[in-house]
Amino acid sequence: MDLDVVLRVIAFVGAVVVGLSALQSLIAEWPKKGLDDHVTKVMLALLALGCVIVIFVAFGIFPGIAGPTKG
Amino acid sequence: MATHALTVDDATYQEVRDQRLLGFLFFLISDVIIFSSFIYGYIYLRSTAMAWPPPGIEPAALYMAGVNSIVLFGSGATMHYAMEFFKHGDKRKFVGYMIATIILGLAFLGGQAFEYFNLLHAGTTWPSSIYGAAFFTLTGLHGFHVFIGVIFLITVLIQAQRGTYTQQRYFGLTAGALYWHFVDVIWVALFSLLYVWK
Repeated sequence: MDLDVVLRVIAFVGAVVVGLSALQSLIAEWPKKGLDDHVTKVMLALLALGCVIVIFVAFGIFPGIAGPTKG
Repeated sequence: MATHALTVDDATYQEVRDQRLLGFLFFLISDVIIFSSFIYGYIYLRSTAMAWPPPGIEPAALYMAGVNSIVLFGSGATMHYAMEFFKHGDKRKFVGYMIATIILGLAFLGGQAFEYFNLLHAGTTWPSSIYGAAFFTLTGLHGFHVFIGVIFLITVLIQAQRGTYTQQRYFGLTAGALYWHFVDVIWVALFSLLYVWK
């Protein structure tokens, strides 16, 4: 199998698992009121956003400067 | 230090903790400013360049970076779980998730080293082009932060094992977790700018 396909599958599966974990943690963190809790919420939301970006990359929606045929 | 920290009453500890937290957040904000300066420089250089990357310069591999990103993001998730298990008094799972976080952090650094090796082998070096200079500066600065973060996490893990932190008093762990999340979030911006932005 082409290495690019393997990397895209790994990136997609990893992004789904980590993204769902981040969202689950964000929901659990939501009722907390401390300053560090608020910062953690922002961080988890951005982490989930990062996973969405990786999913888009894995599907080729964001082809990137390297292009889908260059790894 | 640990003995001293445990002798103060809860109200005093809370006040000191809040001040430490604010100070640590100011530190993170100062780090955001440093990264923002470099990111601004990258955007300026890129938007004024005729071609990006310059002709003949091999760009970094996208999908390898995607997998490496997920390794780092995964470490953010394990760090969060480690904190939660510590707060709930499950030391065994806390240690397990902390070790997983450290291993994932080291794996990210290994992935970055592999990427550097491939790029250098392909002729994309720091002085070869403005692309190389910008790429290695930004990813190198971030990689240095990850390296410091790994040392930070190893330190707080050892402290936790020695009993420095309790379920009520664990500021060092909170700072370690916030720093690690910060390193994750900066990578979201860098990955988008350096690899995804076409």
